[in-house]
Amino acid sequence: MPSSQVPSIAGTALDPTALRPAIADAEILRVGPGELRAKLIELRAAGCSMLLDIGGVDYLERDPRFDVVYHLLALPVKPAGVAEVGVPRRVRVLAGVPGDAPALPSIHDLWPNADWAEREIYDLFGIVFEGHPDLRRIQMPYEWEGHPLRKDYPLRGPAREATPRPAFALKSNVPAGAPPGGKVAAALQKQIARARGQVVSTPEEKKP
Amino acid sequence: MMPGQFMLGKLDDVARWAQSSSVWPLTMGLACCAIEMMSVTNSTYDIARFGSEVFRASPRQADLMIVSGRVAQKMAPIIKRLYDQMADPKWVISMGACASSGGVFDNYAIVQGVDTVVPVDVYVPGCPPTPDGLLYALNLIQQQIRQGGRGGILAKA
Repeated sequence: MPSSQVPSIAGTALDPTALRPAIADAEILRVGPGELRAKLIELRAAGCSMLLDIGGVDYLERDPRFDVVYHLLALPVKPAGVAEVGVPRRVRVLAGVPGDAPALPSIHDLWPNADWAEREIYDLFGIVFEGHPDLRRIQMPYEWEGHPLRKDYPLRGPAREATPRPAFALKSNVPAGAPPGGKVAAALQKQIARARGQVVSTPEEKKP
Repeated sequence: MMPGQFMLGKLDDVARWAQSSSVWPLTMGLACCAIEMMSVTNSTYDIARFGSEVFRASPRQADLMIVSGRVAQKMAPIIKRLYDQMADPKWVISMGACASSGGVFDNYAIVQGVDTVVPVDVYVPGCPPTPDGLLYALNLIQQQIRQGGRGGILAKA
């Protein structure tokens, strides 16, 4: 049933901060690629001593296309007393990265563990970290072509994408050709198909 | 046998009996099937009954490679290399759906069947196969050895 409380597709799919403006335990900051390093240096000086992880997200059609997410943790400095438990501060820094020639400054000199995390983002999303001392692939073989976690990367790999799937894999309780369930899922499928250059026709667009 | 008694046999048969009773697998666990592979060594299933409890840490000392799990594209050249380093005659068990056909991982990262990399002698179906299934595969290998099989490439040559 359509409801006015359901967020718009653009809101859910393309901007997670619009859907979840505040998460109880973490501050969320969005910065541009230019001010990213300065912001992270500032946060580190303010006590965020630990870089938990760096994540990558591909929104495919959004501009900027990628988000790189830095998860920071500030451990409580004041020793907790017997009755209290120190509460750590969590900060999530989102940096948008454009789809063509994606690049960000490396932060391996601020937190050494960023070295491998950045290699992973480079490997799977193709985002170049400028100033990284050893930007090689880390998960896929070195000679691999393409970046598998990009939304437009074929799931079965470029070589096998065109070959038919075995018959048993096509069996499903969903009739062939049926659109995926739910409006959000249908809209996302459409976005992906459009970005791959496939022609999509929907009942709305078939007006005479 | 009581003292003073003896048996006669062809040297081939005696050698094959000895060989089939000491098939030493390579210590190589790739994924969740490796947990089931480990459990065949415990006292409930006891692979030692068939003389195969000695998992060797070096391919030079192993006769049997149990491919226990999905083979990533990055792992495939390593498996090929380990297989090449094993001394002839050698056997390969493809354990589970992923090693045999890619299983549920119909994607870019997983080799769709380890038989595209090394010659496989016995496939064990299941996800994961029961330890009994793996023991039966070992029994089939032993049967092949007693019938004079040489395994893998040599068997086809």
